[in-house]
Amino acid sequence: MPRSIASDLAALLGSLLFLFLVAPIAQLVATAGIQGGERLTTDVELRRALGLTAATATAATILGVLGGTPIAFFIERWRFRGRAVVAALLDLPLLIPHPVAGIALLLVLGRDSVLGQAALSIGLRIVGSPAGIVGAMLFVSAPLYLSGAREAFARVDRRFEAVARTLGDHRWRVFRRVTLPLSGRGLVAAAVVMWARAVSEFGAIVIITYNPKTASVLSYDRFTSFGLREALPVAAILTLLALLPLTALRALRYDRRPELDAGAAG
Amino acid sequence: MIEARGLSARVGTFRLDGVTFAVPAGSYGVVIGPAGSGKTTLLETIAGITPQTGGSLHLDGRLANVLPPEQRRLGLVYQHGYLFPHLSVEQNIAYGATDPDVPRAVATRIGAWDLRDRAVESLSGGERQLVALARALARRPSILLLDEPFSALDPRRRESTRRELRRIHREWGMTVLQVTHDFTEAGLLGDVAILLDAGRVLQSGKPEDVFRHPASPYVAEFLGAENVFAGTARVLPDDSPDWQPGIEPALGAGHHAVEFRSGGLTIYAVANTVENPGYAVIRAEEVLLSLEPQSASSARNHFRGRIAEISTLGALTRVSIEVEGSVLVAALTTRSAQELALAVGSDAYASFKAMAVHLC
Repeated sequence: MPRSIASDLAALLGSLLFLFLVAPIAQLVATAGIQGGERLTTDVELRRALGLTAATATAATILGVLGGTPIAFFIERWRFRGRAVVAALLDLPLLIPHPVAGIALLLVLGRDSVLGQAALSIGLRIVGSPAGIVGAMLFVSAPLYLSGAREAFARVDRRFEAVARTLGDHRWRVFRRVTLPLSGRGLVAAAVVMWARAVSEFGAIVIITYNPKTASVLSYDRFTSFGLREALPVAAILTLLALLPLTALRALRYDRRPELDAGAAG
Repeated sequence: MIEARGLSARVGTFRLDGVTFAVPAGSYGVVIGPAGSGKTTLLETIAGITPQTGGSLHLDGRLANVLPPEQRRLGLVYQHGYLFPHLSVEQNIAYGATDPDVPRAVATRIGAWDLRDRAVESLSGGERQLVALARALARRPSILLLDEPFSALDPRRRESTRRELRRIHREWGMTVLQVTHDFTEAGLLGDVAILLDAGRVLQSGKPEDVFRHPASPYVAEFLGAENVFAGTARVLPDDSPDWQPGIEPALGAGHHAVEFRSGGLTIYAVANTVENPGYAVIRAEEVLLSLEPQSASSARNHFRGRIAEISTLGALTRVSIEVEGSVLVAALTTRSAQELALAVGSDAYASFKAMAVHLC
């Protein structure tokens, strides 16, 4: 195939995919964006759902960062037997259908489960509560943080850490003084991705906690109960909300990065 | 003091295998070897960064096999510096210092203090090396490991930094182990030279001994000896051939007169061990060149040949002479070469002493 025809074909296919990805979102925001903004002032249930979504996604992200950072560092820095299997297991929640993830979570966190009963004994109800939403969000979005955090740690040349150790720092101090500052930007980016994924989760949440409603569940609920017209403003607001972390993420990725290699500048 | 006995380590498929050497306390050791020979791995194993898989390592008399890097009381400077990019130059220098006065003092001595206000990213390769050296010295380590630390410095800066480091090394009584691929640097700095290849020590000892008496033809060629001849040796009776008076004391001290044959060449040598030597090594600097036979010379080996090549590099000229089907290389000053009016294709006489021949 001549080179010019191949280039034209590639440009055409690329443009079609771009339109396919952007057009529905643009159409949604154009059709219902203003209406959605107006609803924010009048629709109490929508405001409550958005607040719950942001709060639970933030809680899930904090838990994901606290637990995921050491796991990502351990997997990235230590070579041990079964490392690939552990890494694959941690990626698994990304691959299974999200309603299936919700059902699996019900088995572990439900009222009849050991964990569910233990939580109930201390007055914490998981299923049908914000705690269940946090659990569902954590389950489906933490693997994204783990993956991003591993990449962030992998970008830090181990010789920076080696030098710090010869300069008297023990492992934890090296992590705090060298590894964390050098991987910080990547870790924040991974946390933003996790938060955005948590905000948009529906499948697992709807199984474990239908009420109180997150924004995604509310959007579905409005659609099934009142039709497309009522669902559109909620969907548009949710889309605009998702743009916030996306913008932050792009700023983090394309902003000037600290130089992580040791190469000379001149 | 650094004492490695049978030291082994593994990085991927590369193995550091049974490395044995010693750098006495307060001495300056130099590790020389081609790229990929394991020089950096050796330093990282001594520093405790690469896990040791076998052998023993003593640092200042302490068994350090399982000591974590932060407890080995050593400093490590990589070729690329590895300055922390999130810290200022001044913070880098002071990173591991325990005495707040030392960073400024030591950085000033090696010329890195003037860089303290610069951003790490703006430093050149040589400046990074200076700051990295200051950072390691600021902790006043008792052992300093250097991985080609002057490679990016311009010649003038390299010389002054080398001199100042040598001074600090003497003042502090620090043990230094430096990796280099430059044997001149090894000769200038080192009290002990360690030759490494494919993860094994080929030879170690005083630089001049390693230089003059390479343990193998590979070592000889690696150290820049151009004249390495393969052949067979035969011990001669001490009264034959007619040795020059200057040789006699050496023969009397347990040395033997040896006749070494390589193709059409017959080379006379003096050796204390003659156990199956397979190679004769003569450094090009030991070969004297003339246009007339040197009958009055005390040299035992004389050859007539044809000049095949003349290559001049600055003040040094190398002349290749075809002798009996072999090529003998002589090194002389460019001025001497000009005075002799050497020309490719013309005849020349080469001579060298029996004592200049090293058999291995």
